[in-house]
Amino acid sequence: MPIEITMPRLSDTMEEGTLLHWYKKVGDVISSGDVLADIETDKATMELQSFDDGIFSKIIVQEGEKVEIGKVIALITEEDESPAQEVSETEPAPTKQDYEQGMTISPIARRLADEYKIDVHNIQGSGPSGRIIKRDILQVVDTTKETSSAAATTKPEEIIQPLVSEPEVVATSHSIVSIAPWRENRSEPLSNMRQIIAKKLVESKQTIPHYQVTMSFDMDPLLEIRATLNKQLVSSGVKLSVNDFLVRCCALAMAEHPAFNASFGGDCIYYHGPVNVGVAIAIPEERGGGLVVGTIRDADQKSLRAISQESARLSNKAKEKGLSMEEMSDSTFTISNLGMFGVEHFTAIINPPNSAILAVGAAVEKPVVRSGELVVGHELSATLSLDHRVIDGAMAARYLKTLKDLIENPASLLV
Amino acid sequence: MSERIIEFREALCEAMSEEMRTDQKVFLLGEEVAQYNGAYKISKGMLDEFGPRRVIDTPISESGFSGMAIGAAMRGLRPIVEFMSWSFSLVAADPILNNAAKMLYMSGGQFGCPIVFRGNDGAGGQLGSTHSWCIESLYANVPGLKMAIPYDAYDAKGLLKTAIRDDNPVFFLESERLLSITGHVPEEDYTVPFGQALIRRQGADCTIISFGRPLYFCQEAAIELAKEGIDCEIIDGRTIRPLDIETMVTSVKKTNACVVVDQSWSFASIGSEVASQIHRYCFDDLDNFVHRVHSDDVPTPYASNLEQAYLPNTRKICEAVRGATYNT
Repeated sequence: MPIEITMPRLSDTMEEGTLLHWYKKVGDVISSGDVLADIETDKATMELQSFDDGIFSKIIVQEGEKVEIGKVIALITEEDESPAQEVSETEPAPTKQDYEQGMTISPIARRLADEYKIDVHNIQGSGPSGRIIKRDILQVVDTTKETSSAAATTKPEEIIQPLVSEPEVVATSHSIVSIAPWRENRSEPLSNMRQIIAKKLVESKQTIPHYQVTMSFDMDPLLEIRATLNKQLVSSGVKLSVNDFLVRCCALAMAEHPAFNASFGGDCIYYHGPVNVGVAIAIPEERGGGLVVGTIRDADQKSLRAISQESARLSNKAKEKGLSMEEMSDSTFTISNLGMFGVEHFTAIINPPNSAILAVGAAVEKPVVRSGELVVGHELSATLSLDHRVIDGAMAARYLKTLKDLIENPASLLV
Repeated sequence: MSERIIEFREALCEAMSEEMRTDQKVFLLGEEVAQYNGAYKISKGMLDEFGPRRVIDTPISESGFSGMAIGAAMRGLRPIVEFMSWSFSLVAADPILNNAAKMLYMSGGQFGCPIVFRGNDGAGGQLGSTHSWCIESLYANVPGLKMAIPYDAYDAKGLLKTAIRDDNPVFFLESERLLSITGHVPEEDYTVPFGQALIRRQGADCTIISFGRPLYFCQEAAIELAKEGIDCEIIDGRTIRPLDIETMVTSVKKTNACVVVDQSWSFASIGSEVASQIHRYCFDDLDNFVHRVHSDDVPTPYASNLEQAYLPNTRKICEAVRGATYNT
């Protein structure tokens, strides 16, 4: 009897998964623990490992297909069985993408999508009943061309291979697509990530009694020490960001104020042991946009350098490949920083089951009063959003006071 | 291009006369073709030039004179049979379909049938249901015959000469509505080969395929659609059998959209055949199914306004092209 490999439940909210990549091909010998595939869940990309030994005998779900939890995605036969008959028919067509049932796409649109390597799943067809037609594909081709020619380092022809033999087709497309597509009303189906963001944040904003407390911090000492450290760390390839300092400050303050490392539990307040600080990471548009929260574990125990390295690693991985479930779970507090965009002040929505989130603006040069004198200094404004069921106003004020002491006396962060 | 401009009907007359001068076996017969110079004056002057043995008036008996001409063709002559209208050929269906088209096959190659049947096809203008037949879809169904539909005076002469020289029965479909149109026609001997469609208008967005008179509606539609930014390519199939599907396929592979305009009724028609072949050969090139424009599925109305509405007119073609290109 062949062993059925099914779509596993890889997260609590997961209902279906997309098979991104098969690491094994039909006929490969499988040992327990081998990585079989990459599976994309609602938020993360995770590896699927085999629990069995045998021969990989049949691929049922092809790369790019999305199926519900529990559906059989592949078969493994035990080594003494003969998989020969199955093998011949299971080789997938390598170049074609898979089309979902019920999705309609015109033949030429399908061919162009394959040739230009365009993922049709995110395209809203403009034909009857949402049929994807030639124009829709050429619009994507054109938009991609514009984006890629805007990026000075990339030549457009490297991105778009004009595989269509008749140049007229491309010329025609231009005349059609030049009717400013962004002016037209359109709708796009939600990506997995956007669905989750929508669901989670509505839940958060509707069920958690949010309130905000803002405080400004004198950043000059911190910026000074950061400049000094970075100068000394150039050779080791480490570059500390303001955010890295803030992660450490928040973590140390959390250790001192356990309510900030807690979750509302209905009939109790749950105090977490480890201090895990989540950092919101924006995903670039070309990778579908959205945001994820990467977790820096035991942030109160980590040095600035370790925090910086972990933070950079999570950020790069999130933007390039996506984070695993583990890399995104168990945060007990979140920092959202828009300072790098020049934002001075904003408020954030609590990331459940956290009780607080800190919205951080930019360190802005402005006139400040120091020892009764008006001088030019750097000030940063940060706003806590809090769950009033766990944290009261005075507690928030005390936490911010601790944070202020840490930020404005940054030498203590080094020990 | 020749400087000389003559009427479509004169081009037909010239084709027959030239072939009769060079080939003694060629002769013309039909109702009113001789003394009356043709019901539509196509054979004007031919009786005077070739005499009553080669330009023969017949009784009103299509079945009889068609059968007689087929017998003559089997014995080596090359008759041209003029039907005043192809509508009248229906009473001669047995000889022209059962005998002419099948003779070579049924005689095991002993007898061919080098004959041309020609006459007016399609709505001539308020002729009523029984005299407005488009016979192309009915007759093209039969193996063993060829079928040509000239679009202008140049093709009228060139295609008819090819038809007369062909060793198979050729059904040559003229339109009463086109007989008076004029065009450049060379005086010298030339032919237009069968099975070679012609691109009448170059375009990038949609291929329109048609034959004969509806091509004029297609031209009007193309001008109208150009104002909307839809660039049509018009293909004149010229002959239905043989059908130059290659030219059509090449065009559709370029435009990814196709409309077939056929003046016969839609069910089991030239239009459905062409559409079927385009779907087969251009399956992965199509952005939409092949749209078809036909005469409405009713007997041809007599009233002028209804007849215009019934035909595969410019309005219908515009709608079909917009549909095929998702510009509705």
